[in-house]
Amino acid sequence: MNDYMIELRDVTKRFGSIVANNRINLGIRRGELMTLLGPSGCGKTTSLRCITGHNIPDEGKVFIDGIDVTDVPTHKRELGMVFQNFALFPHMTVFGNVEFPLMIRGINKRERGELVEEALQLIRMEEYRSHHPRQLSGGQQQRVGLARALVYRPKVLLLDEPLSNLDAKLREEMRFEIRDLIDRMGITAVYVTHDQAEALALSDRVAVMNRGKIEQIGTPTEIYDSPQSRFIADFIGLSDFLEGTVSSIRSDRGAAIVKVDDLEIQVVAGPNMEVGKRALLFVRPNNVELFSKTHEGGTNTFPGEVEKITYLGDRNDYRIKLSNNIRLRVQSDSKALFRVGEEVKVCLLPDQCRVIV
Amino acid sequence: MNLLRIYVKSILRGRKVLIYTFLLCFGLIIYVPFIMIMLRSVGKNWFGRLWLPPELTLDWYRWAVEVTKIFRITANTLIIAVIAVAISTLIGIPTGWAFGRRKIPGKELLMAMILLPRMIPPIAYALGIAQVFYRLHLVNTHFGVALAHVAICAPYAILVLSATIEGLDERVLEASAVCGANRFKTFFHVILPLILPGILTSIIFTFTASYNEFTLTLMTYGKDTVTLPVRTYLAIGEGYWEVTSAMSIILVIPSIFVLFMIQRQVTPEKLVGGFKGV
Repeated sequence: MNDYMIELRDVTKRFGSIVANNRINLGIRRGELMTLLGPSGCGKTTSLRCITGHNIPDEGKVFIDGIDVTDVPTHKRELGMVFQNFALFPHMTVFGNVEFPLMIRGINKRERGELVEEALQLIRMEEYRSHHPRQLSGGQQQRVGLARALVYRPKVLLLDEPLSNLDAKLREEMRFEIRDLIDRMGITAVYVTHDQAEALALSDRVAVMNRGKIEQIGTPTEIYDSPQSRFIADFIGLSDFLEGTVSSIRSDRGAAIVKVDDLEIQVVAGPNMEVGKRALLFVRPNNVELFSKTHEGGTNTFPGEVEKITYLGDRNDYRIKLSNNIRLRVQSDSKALFRVGEEVKVCLLPDQCRVIV
Repeated sequence: MNLLRIYVKSILRGRKVLIYTFLLCFGLIIYVPFIMIMLRSVGKNWFGRLWLPPELTLDWYRWAVEVTKIFRITANTLIIAVIAVAISTLIGIPTGWAFGRRKIPGKELLMAMILLPRMIPPIAYALGIAQVFYRLHLVNTHFGVALAHVAICAPYAILVLSATIEGLDERVLEASAVCGANRFKTFFHVILPLILPGILTSIIFTFTASYNEFTLTLMTYGKDTVTLPVRTYLAIGEGYWEVTSAMSIILVIPSIFVLFMIQRQVTPEKLVGGFKGV
């Protein structure tokens, strides 16, 4: 026995010549919300469908609650699922939709009624019990989808891009509602999305996928602060990348100097760094500070020139030319204003500069 | 009368005269023969020289009922239609499923082959059907005639049902499986209710096709399986024009009912997936 509620072991799934899932190993702990995050076509939906049983892996095994379900048909897997397009039964009322999983399980009518009412209360849709799905808004439909998925207390809740058909404001509200519901039920959940903000806000852990493989698994903070590949740093949040070579590492391995062109930039030292080796330095645009050119220098402070400014409301987005080959994107709050062509000082915060080997 | 008033009005206003003239011609072509038959079926001592029959009577209808045993023949027609509809629907659902949801190599060719009996004149293969049926002793049985009708009814059923089934949302079926329903339960609780409008449409089309079918019945009927269209045709040969007219009118009545059903039932969104655009 292990403490994983869901486990994919060496799961490979091909569609013709395309390898949608390439030896996926993923363990999802009991009560945890795990997000599969990646661009479209990265294989996250394929992995989810391996869990539901809509895809049968070509190789590898799928375990739910410690039991090998690789060859168990979908309807026997005791799952709850929420779909991107809601996938409610259009010919049934809200009540009928939520009741469906209970009816299929042969639960008696009285008990069914109680459970459905309880679920409808949970999503605050009691008044809509006799409406048909087409009479509801997208957000309401998705709440009914949630109730239908949760009403029979499944072992696992699967959510396949549940918010991407909703408008931006509603999406943010529903995020909290889903997280709240999952916390209250104490259920294990797998959440598939391509929206990194959603993943960071919702998840206990995130598995970032790219080209059929998992690139990194970690908490949202780990993923955002120490991405292990250029892909992840690029995909999650904004990043400036600078290519250089490691010129020295401090003896306590707390910091290192990376030489990019003729700039010497101090970075947080990584475990795999070696002097003389190529290194990809990355820093988030909001971890770069701008000062006027009279500002006296410090660590990682270099002169530059403003090339472009984009106004974003709560902050400004600058494109700064550090030298002939180096451009940096910098985001800073609107208080300090610089003009195009102005000479400035740029400080790459040393404890926020990291290296991807 | 309404049409006439609109026509006169538009002429007076000098607008759209051409359109209404064409519309009138179209109406005349379609309805004049029908009106002629109607008048003949209730006219007495009318030889076509006058505008309207000099005397009105329902005798010809009585004759039609008594002499031609029209109830028996209507029963034959309906029994055959019901069998043909049942077989066509039972063929149409699985075949429609295969065409609508599966990737089949040579799908277009297969569909063309299925539609072929609808495209070529029935007389061209009715003879072949008759030969086979004589050997199998299917001639002069309701089932035999119905089976011949399936050749032209099933293509309708397959065409309509494959379009309906193609419009089913795959995700809804997946949702049903995740909710714990096996294929059997998914079919009865989800698929069947969703394709019901398509099935009803298919039934209407196949029913009218069988009800109106003449050529194939002519080649496979016997004395116990005479249908309304065939009996009407035979009555023409017997020379009683008035009785034949009365029979024609009787033949038309169920078709008018079906027409109203079609108007209520056959709408594009109902044909394709029933509940699309949820």
